Amino acid sequence: MNAYHSFLDYLEETPTIIQVVWFSSVIFLLLILVLVLYLKYLRSHLRQNERIESVYNKKFESNLITYLYSGNEDEEITAEQLLIINRLKKNTADPFKRKVLISTLLKLRNEISGEMARSIQNLYIQTGLLNYAIAKLKSKNWELIAKGINELTQFHIKEVHDEIIQFINHPKNEVRKEVQLYSVNLFNFKGLSFLNIIETKLSEWDQIQLLEVLQKFGEQQTFDVKPWLQSSNDSVISFALKLTEIYNQFDAIEELIALLNYPDEKIRIEAIQVLNYFTIVEAKSILKDNFHSVREIEQIAVFKMMANVYELEDENFILENIVHPNFEIKLRALKILKDINIENFNINKQIVTNTEFHKIVNFIETN
Amino acid sequence: MDTVDIILLIRYLFFAYAITTISTYLILAVISVVETIEYMKRNSFVNYKEILSSTVSPSISIIAPAYNESLNIIENVRSLLSSHYANYDVIIVNDGSKDDSLEKLIKAYDLVKIDYLINQQIPTKPLRGGVFKSTNPAFEKLIVVDKENGGKADALNTGLNISNNRYVACIDVDCLLLEDALQKMIKPFLETTDTNVIAAGGVIRIANSCIIRDGKLIDVNFPKKMLEQGQILEYIRAFLLGRMAWSRLNGLLVISGAFGLFDKKIAIDVGGYDTHTVGEDMEIIVRMRRYMEEKKLRYKVAYIPDPLCWTEAPDNYKIFISQRNRWTRGTIETLKMHRKIAFNPNYSSMGLLSYPYWLIFERLAPLIEVFGLVYFGILVYFGEVRWDYTLGFITLAYLFTVFFSIIAIISEELTYHQYKKKGIGFQLLMIAFLEPFVVHPFIIYSAVRGNIDYYFNKKKKWGEMTRKGMSSTQ
Repeated sequence: MNAYHSFLDYLEETPTIIQVVWFSSVIFLLLILVLVLYLKYLRSHLRQNERIESVYNKKFESNLITYLYSGNEDEEITAEQLLIINRLKKNTADPFKRKVLISTLLKLRNEISGEMARSIQNLYIQTGLLNYAIAKLKSKNWELIAKGINELTQFHIKEVHDEIIQFINHPKNEVRKEVQLYSVNLFNFKGLSFLNIIETKLSEWDQIQLLEVLQKFGEQQTFDVKPWLQSSNDSVISFALKLTEIYNQFDAIEELIALLNYPDEKIRIEAIQVLNYFTIVEAKSILKDNFHSVREIEQIAVFKMMANVYELEDENFILENIVHPNFEIKLRALKILKDINIENFNINKQIVTNTEFHKIVNFIETN
Repeated sequence: MDTVDIILLIRYLFFAYAITTISTYLILAVISVVETIEYMKRNSFVNYKEILSSTVSPSISIIAPAYNESLNIIENVRSLLSSHYANYDVIIVNDGSKDDSLEKLIKAYDLVKIDYLINQQIPTKPLRGGVFKSTNPAFEKLIVVDKENGGKADALNTGLNISNNRYVACIDVDCLLLEDALQKMIKPFLETTDTNVIAAGGVIRIANSCIIRDGKLIDVNFPKKMLEQGQILEYIRAFLLGRMAWSRLNGLLVISGAFGLFDKKIAIDVGGYDTHTVGEDMEIIVRMRRYMEEKKLRYKVAYIPDPLCWTEAPDNYKIFISQRNRWTRGTIETLKMHRKIAFNPNYSSMGLLSYPYWLIFERLAPLIEVFGLVYFGILVYFGEVRWDYTLGFITLAYLFTVFFSIIAIISEELTYHQYKKKGIGFQLLMIAFLEPFVVHPFIIYSAVRGNIDYYFNKKKKWGEMTRKGMSSTQ
């Protein structure tokens, strides 16, 4: 006690700054003690959670397997199945157990198909888990909404489409992304109708994910890409261009050619790439006319296309560009010239003295 | 102003510096926590598998310079070729190795010399053996370039010239990349619609004592040596409580040379890596940012907190000091080279926040600390020390350091929880208490040596980094 009082007396006599230093030290010391205890608790808690999760996982898995194999064709739900439903229902009240149950259901659902998958979906509804997911849609927290949509997508719940599509222009990208994935996962190409109403931009990441989902449904699909190629949303046009190429939408050639004069450079380049893929020679004259007014990045795209659609009449245009400052354009122009007119290629290779030019010529001649 | 006033002024300056440092670290920690929580929320239900096989996923070149890596080159290349990403190639640049790296690669991967037209956009040292590709379709993604020695930056520039892809991942050849590393790193580039992501960096984790088999991380262990443990704690603190905050403020000035993904066009437009600095990883980011600022283009340097890349850290003080010495010289060179940015509002957050932070808290901190120790020595000599005050200040500084380290450990536990084994929590806590004595003094010593070498030993370049090799790490 004396030491404590002496310390207090000492503090009273010291300058304020030193008092603050000692006071802060005591605060940090207390915080450290609290954090050490918290860390101990946290690590044990995380380990314990992993253990409990694994126990419940096994328990639910065994319940689910019994549920799946105790059904018969006569009854919609057998007595044994009803028992399991009621048992699982009791677990859904606890958020932790609910989470484990959902993940076990999903794991199983992804491993099976057909009638059994439908049984799992039915169980998801019967246990009331569906109601929890729908309730998430009413939350003000974007994360919960996104998680809810994600869950409904994975369990293929088509009935909530109208509620979900309302979030297509949600301020949070993650929510919008989940709505898009819900739409195409459950309604395939028809689900792309969200492209008609989306006001925000589709990122490249969103587009790749959507294309990957669509690829699961095969290549022979009928859908009209034209309205999307004329959309006021640039990202929708960009996505539509990818759809046009992947699903060979030859009907949209007119719209594609129209996009060569589109104000946005990225869209023009993507349109050139698709026209190149379809080898549309008609596009060449527009590209040649615009060539000098566009940036180098677009000129490269033009030459990538020229390599596939060149004709004898293009020789002058090609000749103009064999000394283009851009390496890639120069390389492609020289390659085309060699194919169109070998004599002219041989004459020109001696006129130009540039080292890079000769490196390219040597490469073309030896390969 | 008499001597007493000057001494008083010096004391107040020290005090103000200490308070500013503590406040800055606390603010950065709070911002980091907020950003980490948001990142975890945003990515909690992302399905990375969906872009794995996509034919429209953007193409990436992994560029890995190698110099005398014969011991582990075969395993390291195998690890790089095992990524789950669909659209990528691996460019190994053998930077004039004096050992048998190239011969081993040729034999192991059935390489043959090919005629490869290189667009020499960045000047580099000439090729030595040429460009090689495999005749085995299983290794079709592999390109090996054998060139004259020019240093790491020159080798990376060769890779930039060789690459035909839109993005380049520049990595240390001995780094272990997790299989989904490329998917996670490319995401920021693809998900933005209103800005250009020019580069992305990831967390680097220390693989010492971890079990690695066939280029894959099998088991995460905690090393026994205090130096290695201290570095683990240091990395967690820097990556989870520092860079996360700078990412949110869009003020990242450095992406670790061990693993970074770049927009190739911009990297080439700025002239590639600078071959005259030993801090080329920091310098290229500053230059790319400066380029974007000067062109008034919207941009972002992104940061991924997921543990995607594991590397071997120095396990002895000699190599550790050499590494930190180089880092110090790299920082000095970069800050000096780009001093125009300092406190310049034309460079927005980079000029007003990032650069001043690096100058005051990274570049000058060790010098101020040494100056403080010298000043303290003088006071001791003249018997001018109030030992009770000294004890108060040292206690506060020490407790703050420990507090900050424990916050970092808790962040790690709440997010990635990599060190799951029982007992590691206690070891992490122990090192949080001991690190100020077993690692920090050597960091200060290295920084001072770095300053001396920078000003008085201009010939000093990379220094020694002897690697044991991760393929045998356990």
